[in-house]
Amino acid sequence: MTRAVRLAARQALLEQRSFWRSAEYALFTFVFPLMILLLIGAANVGSYLPGSHVKNTTVFVPGILAFGVIVAAYVNLGSKVAVLRHDGVLKRIKTTPLPSAAYLGGLLASTVLTAILISACTGVIGWLAFGASPRPDGLLALAAGLVLGIVCFATLGLAISAVITTAESAGPLAYASFLPIAIISGVFDPTFGGLPHWMERMVDAFPVKALAQVLQGGYTVRPFPALDLANLGLWTVAGAFFVAWRFRWHT
Amino acid sequence: MRVTYEPAARPVPETPAVQVRDLRMSYGSTEVLRGVDFDVHYGEVFCLLGPNGAGKTTTLEILEGFRPPTGGTVRVLGLNPAAQAARLRERVGMVLQECGFPRQARVAELIDIWRSYYPHPRPLAELLDVVELAEVRNTQVRKLSGGQRRRLDFALALAGDPDLVFLDEPTTGFDPEARRRCWAAIENLRRLGATIMLTTHYLDEAERLADRIAILREGRIELVGTTREVATRAGLATRISFNTPAALRRGQVALPDGIGLAVRGQLSVCHTGNVAVTLRRLLDWALENRLGDLDGLAVTAPSLEDSYIQLTGAIDAGGP
Repeated sequence: MTRAVRLAARQALLEQRSFWRSAEYALFTFVFPLMILLLIGAANVGSYLPGSHVKNTTVFVPGILAFGVIVAAYVNLGSKVAVLRHDGVLKRIKTTPLPSAAYLGGLLASTVLTAILISACTGVIGWLAFGASPRPDGLLALAAGLVLGIVCFATLGLAISAVITTAESAGPLAYASFLPIAIISGVFDPTFGGLPHWMERMVDAFPVKALAQVLQGGYTVRPFPALDLANLGLWTVAGAFFVAWRFRWHT
Repeated sequence: MRVTYEPAARPVPETPAVQVRDLRMSYGSTEVLRGVDFDVHYGEVFCLLGPNGAGKTTTLEILEGFRPPTGGTVRVLGLNPAAQAARLRERVGMVLQECGFPRQARVAELIDIWRSYYPHPRPLAELLDVVELAEVRNTQVRKLSGGQRRRLDFALALAGDPDLVFLDEPTTGFDPEARRRCWAAIENLRRLGATIMLTTHYLDEAERLADRIAILREGRIELVGTTREVATRAGLATRISFNTPAALRRGQVALPDGIGLAVRGQLSVCHTGNVAVTLRRLLDWALENRLGDLDGLAVTAPSLEDSYIQLTGAIDAGGP
């Protein structure tokens, strides 16, 4: 057991080094969300949510936190694993005595580290640039939301990797499968609304808005997000079942 | 480069390293292997030679534990690959066709993490030497040439100091220089004491590297043996040739009887199953007709290529 943990840790470090060597991964994961944070954040300075004393940026910053977690865990891990499978790296791992759990554990640990880093950057920049900071008694909810969000979207990342068949389509497919939902979930626009009823229901069913709302609970006072937590939990379980069913080590 | 490391002390048990008996494999109604038998002995380089689609890769995948066979028995290092894959992985190195690397990893870094997967890895510096990659040790894998990538394949397969190495078509699609360096790496592997089983559809590769060869065709082993044995058992004759003497060319001398000598312009050629008898007759005939020692007299053993083409049909015979 300890050997498997040690091997997973080594794998995670190699993944991290590789990640930072690759301009496309590092750039997309960090620069893209932080750029959106600064650009759209700047456009919302001085505005308040309709009929309230809550600043737009106070809900926008945790929304971008959710976006960063999804990019790091879902898009990155999903496209990375799809490329590893397409290139035959996963098959090569199967020729060694390395336990599958240690290898996947290493990939997941590296993903968690990346997600924590992007969350920290978003939080600090959101605070410095827009003065948006978590409530002191919202910190625990925020941390719990981040953990659950990372677990949920990393699971879904593994799931989407199982349906991506080519290396070229990995990144675009991973993005295309969540960006429209992120937009209609209002992640980029705190005052977004006026969707048809059926579309509202759909947005509520997906885990993007749920994660954003759980994280917003760490910044503003909101009712306990029981439904949102249940949503994330259900998607995690569904994703795990899909992974168990469809995950393959080679094409 | 010659590698002079001491070969690891390896147990040489009585049983063969690989034992295949009546191996059968079907995909649906398609029979790919129809009763294959062969042994690979410890310390040898064994080559499974055959045209594309003969079942080479399928055989290897069964031996590697990636596919359970439809029938027959298989033992690799005394283990059943289908049931004991995990134990097998610690002692076997594999070079599969079309297996990539993590794109951003560096050469030495990748070999090093591969070493960590095994209980008794070989030293990093030695692995880099064996496959001649020491000078690119800090290069990212995606920047390597095809030949360098293949040699990195070898290094990873060798990282755990395996008793047995499987190489599936190790030089397919390479230019001559890349092939030569691959062969050098394979010869270095054998000098480390590993048993090697490789598949190829290149005759020169089999002839150059293998101690023993099995010709696989349409799911059956046609022949097993050393290069010489395979050629002999294919029923091919040894070729005797010499420069046609002027007197013979001008028709001043009659052809010898009973050895089937044919004059082909500058060269006179005959084929025989008994070299000594034919040679004696030929030299007696030359003496009687005052033709001297027969200029350019050459005795050529049948080549693997001849037997392979005879067995599989010239169209199937691949080659660079």
